Amino acid sequence: MWTFLVQGVFQGAVYGLLAVGLVLVYKGTRVFNFAQGEFGSVAAFVTWGLLLHTAVPYLVAFVGGLLAAVAMGLLVERAVVRPLFAASRLILLVATVGVALLAIALTVLAAQPQARVLPPAVAGEPITVAGASVLPQQILVLVALAAVAAGLAGFFRTDLGLAVLAVSQDPVATRVVGINPVMLSRVIWGLAAGLGGLAGLLQAPVGIFTPGFMTATTLLPAFAAAVLGGMTSLPGAFAGGVAIGVAQNLGIYLLGQQLAVPGAAELTVFGLLLAVLLVRPQGLLGKAA
Amino acid sequence: MAATAAPRSPATIAPAPPTLAVPLPLAGLLARAVVAGLVAAAVLVPPLLAGSVWQQRIALAAIYAVIGLSVNVLTGHAGQISLGHQAFVGIGAFTSAYLSFRLAAGFPVAVLVAAATGAALAGVLGLAALRIRGLYLALVTLAFGLTAETTLFNWRAFTGGGAGAEAPRPALVGTDLRYSYLCLAVLGLVLLLDWRLVRTKAGRAFVVLRGDERVAATLGVNVTGYKLLAFVLSGLLAGLAGALFAHWSQVVQALDFDFQIALVWVVMAVVGGLRSRAGVVLASAFFALLPTVLPELLTASPVQPPFLNEAVYHVLPPFVAVVLLLLTLILVPGGVGQLLLPVRRWLAGGRLRTGRSAPQAGDGG
Repeated sequence: MWTFLVQGVFQGAVYGLLAVGLVLVYKGTRVFNFAQGEFGSVAAFVTWGLLLHTAVPYLVAFVGGLLAAVAMGLLVERAVVRPLFAASRLILLVATVGVALLAIALTVLAAQPQARVLPPAVAGEPITVAGASVLPQQILVLVALAAVAAGLAGFFRTDLGLAVLAVSQDPVATRVVGINPVMLSRVIWGLAAGLGGLAGLLQAPVGIFTPGFMTATTLLPAFAAAVLGGMTSLPGAFAGGVAIGVAQNLGIYLLGQQLAVPGAAELTVFGLLLAVLLVRPQGLLGKAA
Repeated sequence: MAATAAPRSPATIAPAPPTLAVPLPLAGLLARAVVAGLVAAAVLVPPLLAGSVWQQRIALAAIYAVIGLSVNVLTGHAGQISLGHQAFVGIGAFTSAYLSFRLAAGFPVAVLVAAATGAALAGVLGLAALRIRGLYLALVTLAFGLTAETTLFNWRAFTGGGAGAEAPRPALVGTDLRYSYLCLAVLGLVLLLDWRLVRTKAGRAFVVLRGDERVAATLGVNVTGYKLLAFVLSGLLAGLAGALFAHWSQVVQALDFDFQIALVWVVMAVVGGLRSRAGVVLASAFFALLPTVLPELLTASPVQPPFLNEAVYHVLPPFVAVVLLLLTLILVPGGVGQLLLPVRRWLAGGRLRTGRSAPQAGDGG
C-alpha cells in the first residue's frame, strides 16, 4: 500500500502540471478547457515523430514537441476561443471538447492508432524512494512541477504576469488602463498549452502512449485537482494534483486491489470530485463564490 | 460572468406558435399537405425498398434520434449539460439484455424496465447534481459517465464483462424491416412526448430555468423539482434508446459506450440545434450513418485521392463531426434547426420569409 501512495505523489505531479494549465485558462478567459490534455498528447507525438524520422538530439525533439503544443494553443485561441468568446461558457466548453476530439482524430491520422513508446528524458533503472520503486523519469516530473511553480511565481511578478492576474480579476478595468486583452489571451493560451505539452512529454515515457492518452487518463483527475485547489488558485492546483494522485492510488489499492472493483481509478476520481463540489465548492484555496 | 443573463426580447425567449391569422387559400393548403406527405413518405417508405443493411441503418438512425432528443431534454430544454449520457444509454442496454436473455422476460417488459432504470440512474445523478451548476456539472457528468463505463459496465455478473451481453429480438420484430419500423414508431412517440412537454407548465418552467435559476426561483418555479424532472425524463429516453440499441446489435459490451460516443451525442444535439426537434432528429440520423456511410462512399468513389487509406476512413467521421460542430457554433449557432425554421414556419401556415431573425439556440447557461 505504501508503494501505491508514493507512486500517487509522482502520478499527482503530472495531474498538477495539467491542472495549472486549466487554472491559468480559467482565470484568464473563464473557459473550462477540455483540450488541455491534447496539448500533451500532441506534444508527445510530435517529439516521437521527430525522433523517429530525423536525427535531431532528444533535447531538440523535446523542444519541438513543446513548440508544437504552444502553436496548437495559439491556434485554438485564434480559431475557436476568440470567435466564440461572446457565446455562453457552456458552448465554449463544448467547442473545446470538439477540439480535443479533432486533435485525437488528427493524431490517429498522422501516427496510426497503435501504442507507441517514447524514450525517457532521463534513462536508468528504477530507484527506491521512501520504500517504493520509482523511475528516474517520474522524479523528473516532480522536479519539473517544482520548477514550473517557481517559474510561475516569478512570472507573476513581471509586468506581463501582473497583467494576466489583472485580467483574471477584472477584464473591463484591465482594458480601461490600456492593456490589450487579445494579447493577454494569446499569452495565457500559449503558456497553458506549453504546460500541457510539458505534462504530456513527461508522462508519455512512463508507460506506452496512444492517441488521446492524456485526455483519456489524466484530464479528469487534473480537473478534479484544479477544482480541489479552488479552480482559480495556482498553488491550489499544484497541491490538488498531488492530493488527487495520492487519493486515486489509495482508491486503486483499497477498491481495485482489495475488493476487485473494476474501474477503481475512475470511481475514486468521480467520488472525490463530487465530494469536493458538494462539501466545499470553492475548493481548498479558492475564494468563496 | 457565467450567469450573465442578457436582456432578451420576448420573441427569443419563446418563439410564438405560428397562428393562422388569415385562412390559407386552397392551393396553399394543398401545397403544404403535399410537402408534409412527402416528408412522411421519405421516412416511412425507404425501409420497404431497402435491403437488410439499410434497414439496420435506418433503425440505428432512429435510435440515435431518440438519444439526441434525450440530450435535448436535459441540455436544450433545462439548460443542464450532460457529457456522460453513455451511462444512461448503457444502463438501458445492459438492463434490457439482462432481463430478456438471462431472466427470459418479455420484450416489452425488458424495454420498459430498461427505460425506468435509465430514468432512475439519471435521477440519482440529478439529485447529486442539484447543487452543482454549469461548467462544474459538465465535469461531474463526464466523470459519472466514465465511472459507469469502467465500473458498472465491466461488472461481469451484470454485463458479461468483455464478452458482452446477448440481447435477442422477439420474433414479432425479429426481421430488420420490422425492427426498423419499431424504432421509427418509438421515435414518433418520443417526438410526440417532447412536443407535449414544451407546451405544458413544465415546458414553460424549463424556459425560465435555463435562462437563470435564481430568476426562476423568484418567479415561484420549483427549480429543484423541474431540474430533477429534466434528468429523469432525459434518462428515461436514454434508457429506452439503449434498450432499442441492445436488441438492434443483439450483443452489447462496455466498449459500445465509451466517453467519445457521449461527446458525439452532445455534438449532434448542438449541431442539430438545441430545442429544434426536426434539427436534432436530422443531425442525429446524420451522425448515426456517418461512420458507416462515409468510408463506403469514399471506397466506392471512382476517383481515389492518393493520400486516402484505411486509417483515414476511420478518422474522417469524427473529423467531419468536429468540423461541423465548430462551423455550427461559429456560423449558425441555432444549428440545423435554425436553417429549417423558414420551412417549419411555412408548413405551419406562415410565410417562408419574414423579417424576424431566428431565435438563438445554445443560450442555456
